Amino acid sequence: MAIATRTRKSPRRERLEAAVNYPIDWLEERSGLIGGIRYFLFRKVPGDTNWFHTLGSATLTAFLVQAVTGVILAMYYKPEPKTAYASIQHITNDVTLGWLVRGMHKWGASVFIILMFFHMARVFLFGAYKYPRELNWIIGVMLLVIGMLEGFTGYLLPWDQTAYWATIVGINLNGTAPFLGPYIAQFLRGGAEIGPDTLARFYSMHMLLIPGAIFALIGLHLYLVVRLGVSSPPWSKEAAGADWVEEQEVSTDGRRAGLTRPVPRNYVRGQRGDSA
Amino acid sequence: MSALDERRASFQRYKQDVKERGKPFYPYAMFHDTVMSLVVVCVIVGLACVWYLTSHEDPNRCQPKWSSCMLGPRYAEPADPGTTNFVPRPDWYFYFLFYLLRIFKWPDSVILGTVGIPTILLIIALVLPFIDTRRDRRLSRRPVAVIAAILVVISMGELTYKGAVAKEALASEVVAAVPSWAQREGFANNPKAVSGATVFAEAGCTACHTYLGTGGGNLGAPDLSAEGTKGKGVQGLTSYISDPSKFGNNVMPKFAAFANIPAKDAKGKNLGISELQALAIFLDASKGPK
Ligand code: HEC
Ligand code: HEM
Repeated sequence: MAIATRTRKSPRRERLEAAVNYPIDWLEERSGLIGGIRYFLFRKVPGDTNWFHTLGSATLTAFLVQAVTGVILAMYYKPEPKTAYASIQHITNDVTLGWLVRGMHKWGASVFIILMFFHMARVFLFGAYKYPRELNWIIGVMLLVIGMLEGFTGYLLPWDQTAYWATIVGINLNGTAPFLGPYIAQFLRGGAEIGPDTLARFYSMHMLLIPGAIFALIGLHLYLVVRLGVSSPPWSKEAAGADWVEEQEVSTDGRRAGLTRPVPRNYVRGQRGDSA
Repeated sequence: MSALDERRASFQRYKQDVKERGKPFYPYAMFHDTVMSLVVVCVIVGLACVWYLTSHEDPNRCQPKWSSCMLGPRYAEPADPGTTNFVPRPDWYFYFLFYLLRIFKWPDSVILGTVGIPTILLIIALVLPFIDTRRDRRLSRRPVAVIAAILVVISMGELTYKGAVAKEALASEVVAAVPSWAQREGFANNPKAVSGATVFAEAGCTACHTYLGTGGGNLGAPDLSAEGTKGKGVQGLTSYISDPSKFGNNVMPKFAAFANIPAKDAKGKNLGISELQALAIFLDASKGPK
């Protein structure tokens, strides 16, 4: 009797499960979203992924921090030369925890850029830009460039001396480019002089155009990551897809295989009892 | 088997291997990702706290002793198109570009620094997967890639470091040099020129230009110690400074705003001319050290 109650669900529990499952099933039936999430979470990744592989998602986290703190800053910031500086002071010194939000946004930008470089370095060192992941590398380079543009446009917004003069020089340097240079400079300034129009357009680019592009590119980037899978560390003894048959002349006399002494592929497979 | 077929076969093998021996993303890889993300958020919050707690409402309070603002002031002085304290310093990740510009001399090769090298770097990065099509991924098999990576890291690091420590003459230091300029250039008896020299020092012209050894010599700006010998005249210099872009100089900012500020002598007495005119008089009086 006791066993029966344990294996059989009580009617109350059944009703509870149905109530929980109903909205999930409803959503799944109409969107396939749950299946998608399940696929994303339970897809297989190579068994030898390691901490280096976390740099990409760490970059994503830093970007999300920027997005959230940026939205909060936008609630208080006033993009006008007359008011911008005062609103930055107000956020930093008066608004509750405003200093934290602004500080996180200011420093998060640097962390984001550093992490992008680190992530890029890991991809380079792992040779992970090679077939079939070339496209994802290119998307990555685009992310790096517009990530830095995001930094450039954000730098002006406090409208302080550093911001103002660094931006003037930055725009002028853009202007030295052949052919397009003067047009780019003109476009960035929004006129002949740096002023209210410049600030408004930097603000618009900084909070709409560029973040939108970054979000879209990250979406593509992650789509390709999921579709193609992440690559194993190249030095791994059991790197997925490794093909080291040509190196069978490397002796398997029991010395440790590692970075410079790869184990032949069928040696590994043989151990696992594979026929290959 | 062609190279492409080989690459395809190897990717098929990869998929096979992952299917047979891989582990699910959740919870294994996701655990690492979550820990790392938490570390990232903590670092960001930590930086924000140190920055805020060691700085002050008044941006000038950390001026003399930079150590009191460990991560810099909360903001600089409000932007002011007309006056002092010009520090054309970008965020740190542009330092390498910023420093590149000091290596190339205006005007012939500066374009290499502003546009040439960055564009080449960008193109190399974009086509990298198409240059390096070998299948090998192990570093021991990619000596060229390893050496290239080391060179890139060293040179970027070096340029960033140099950009960070590049000497920026602070306005206060430059102003102190004005009397000696007047002496050596022989315009000490001309209060308008002395006043112009002070404006020159305060307005941050020396962030780019050098004058009798003071200043940065950045972005290809020439030495101005003997500008008066070039025959531009006060009038010519005035129009140059108020809008250098008219003279093909797109790097130097416009200083037209100085035309609205009356020039004063050391005692604060109005000289009846604008700071812009004083600047021009000063430059015109600069005939090189005696
Ligand atoms: C952002 C850097 C920068 C700043 C700041 C700057 N300049 Fe210049 N300036 C330049 C550059 C670069 C040139 C050279 C342009 C060329 O040769 O076409 C130049 C050229 C000049 C010239 C013409 C020199 C010649 O012999 O051709 C004068 C005069 C001059 N600057 C005056 C000033 C004064 C006065 C100030 C301060 C109010 C100032 N500059 C601030 C970058 C700067
Ligand atoms: C906004 C910035 C970026 C985000 C959020 C991001 C995110 C990610 C994530 C989550 C992964 C999964 C594997 C991993 O974490 O290592 C990944 C892989 C990858 N990233 Fe990025 N990335 C960014 C920028 C870049 C840059 C700048 C490059 C290079 C120029 C790049 C190239 C790649 C490549 C080639 C892969 C596949 C690696 C593999 O399969 O092993 N990404 N990215």
